[in-house]
Amino acid sequence: MPFKLLLQLGWRNLFRHKRRNFMLLLAICVAVAGVVVMNSLIRGFQFDMQEAAVANLTGHVKMLAPGYLDDPNIEKSFTLVKDWQPHLPGVELEGWAPRIRIPAVIMSERETRGIQLVGIDPARENISFLDKVELAGDMLSDADDRRVVIGKELARQLETEVGRRLVIITQGIDGRNREAGFRIAGTFDADGKGLEKLFVFTGVTALQNLVDAEVITEVSIKVVSQLDESLAQQGLADSFLDLDVLSWQQLEPQAAAMFVFADSAIFIWFLVMMGALIFGLMNTLITAVMERIKEFGMLRAVGMRPRAVVVQVVVESTLIMLVGVVSGTLIGWLLVLWLSDGGIDLSAYAQGVELAGMRSVLMPRLLVEDLLLVSSLSLVFGILAALYPARRAVKINPLEALRR
Amino acid sequence: MSDVVVRCSGISRTYQEESVPVQALQDVDFEVCKGEFISLAGPSGSGKSTLLNIIGGLDRPDKGDVEVAGVKLNDLNESELSDLRLQKMGFVFQAYNLIPVLSARENVEFIMQLQGVSPAERASRATAVLEQLGVEGMADRRPGELSGGQQQRVAVARAIVTRPVLLLADEPSANLDSATTRELLEMLRTLNETHGVTIVAATHDPIVMSYARRQVNLRDGRIVEDKQNEAA
Repeated sequence: MPFKLLLQLGWRNLFRHKRRNFMLLLAICVAVAGVVVMNSLIRGFQFDMQEAAVANLTGHVKMLAPGYLDDPNIEKSFTLVKDWQPHLPGVELEGWAPRIRIPAVIMSERETRGIQLVGIDPARENISFLDKVELAGDMLSDADDRRVVIGKELARQLETEVGRRLVIITQGIDGRNREAGFRIAGTFDADGKGLEKLFVFTGVTALQNLVDAEVITEVSIKVVSQLDESLAQQGLADSFLDLDVLSWQQLEPQAAAMFVFADSAIFIWFLVMMGALIFGLMNTLITAVMERIKEFGMLRAVGMRPRAVVVQVVVESTLIMLVGVVSGTLIGWLLVLWLSDGGIDLSAYAQGVELAGMRSVLMPRLLVEDLLLVSSLSLVFGILAALYPARRAVKINPLEALRR
Repeated sequence: MSDVVVRCSGISRTYQEESVPVQALQDVDFEVCKGEFISLAGPSGSGKSTLLNIIGGLDRPDKGDVEVAGVKLNDLNESELSDLRLQKMGFVFQAYNLIPVLSARENVEFIMQLQGVSPAERASRATAVLEQLGVEGMADRRPGELSGGQQQRVAVARAIVTRPVLLLADEPSANLDSATTRELLEMLRTLNETHGVTIVAATHDPIVMSYARRQVNLRDGRIVEDKQNEAA
């Protein structure tokens, strides 16, 4: 098979009908660039949602007392040995955080709200959203800090502010209510009012004192590489047979389902764009074959095998796709770079965005594997689009073609 | 006979034209020996092009046997026919049929590429044949930049560069003026006489007939005259 010759012919034929091929290339470029940009936006949405799910005190893996998820209270708690450290061979940890998280009622002079009271060691909260929030006032100084940090929205609803006192009522380990006054150290401005209304943070030791038990209700663990998630989960499950060790997908099934859906959405979007494009490409190739019917007749007459004719049409289609895919990918990449400078502000749709578990600014995310997938599948589509025109070309009777 | 290049025995061919059967060839026996220069002549519809196409493996007879260079064409499939045309035959078409995106040299070389000839040999043979046909100065020009006569010379160069056993020409002078036709025919005669290329040309041009050393006249699908042209 004289592949070099077919490649040479294919390349030269690209420039044979400059305007028509330019329009086709433009269509391929727009489609591929559109797919690249859309993929990066869907990926941005997907990872944003995942990061939010992990950062909302979940972590990649969490240890809980059995039954806590169904009835979260201080009785569903456990203890860790003194100076416990996660020991997970082969897993690189970004961090881990022990917490008490129990329902409580918070009261100001004017309002009362139901909240999640969370006892934390602030030094370990680099793995949660607390590490990234804007803070008015102070963060808790350590695990013994008896003050609270509340959300900006909750402060607004309670009509209170930094430095003022609040009363919190929660259940102690003996089942009786505990009530204590806390001064507000600071208010946090999270990416979403839901978090601001739900969580109130205090020192974990201070909360243990309030509930009269040196216990915790959860340990969150965040790994450096997501590939280690299951390894970490298995390692912890093996060490803590009497605890529930759950992944973020199990703890946040809706976010996990959306994560999977995003993968499908990317593929569906690609199929729609390429499906539309393939007909344009096929049409152009059929036109090109019919215009060159005499040439194909001559090639067959002088001895080009039918298989070589098929390869020639496929090579031409692949070359057009290749040029279009490379240009489209480059344009798409540049557009993603441009969009990444500040992201896309979705604050006008803040409520809906928050419901979807996203941040108010959507940052596109370009994955190399997506680019490779789009490029390779586009080329496959180019080859598939060429098969029918190639069949037409090979069915040309050289004699009839030469008579035209 | 070992020097028979083409042997057609009792070939018939009928076409359907708008559901009307047209007998293009009727029980034709025809032989071409090595080194002959033959013109197939006759009015339109006489069967000359059909006979040429059957010899070239571009068409198949309904009846009868065709043998070219010792190979029986009836038994070959499309790919085998393609290979035979590539290795044993050269074609000169009425409309030149050069590939517009290739230069004259590339048009001559591409057929050798199909044959798998090495690049160095391709270049040397293409240069030699373009020189021989007097178009070496146009080697880098594309067909659109050449006159009709020059294009036909390049087409002949493409046809003979593979050193075919048989050169088939279908109305080679149809698009040429008289002077260019004579130039082309002088060239074909030289190829025939000095290089021993066997040539069969279907034509209705008296000038082409006058150059051929054997004239075969067809009418209504039959050979009505087969004579040597002493004046050629």
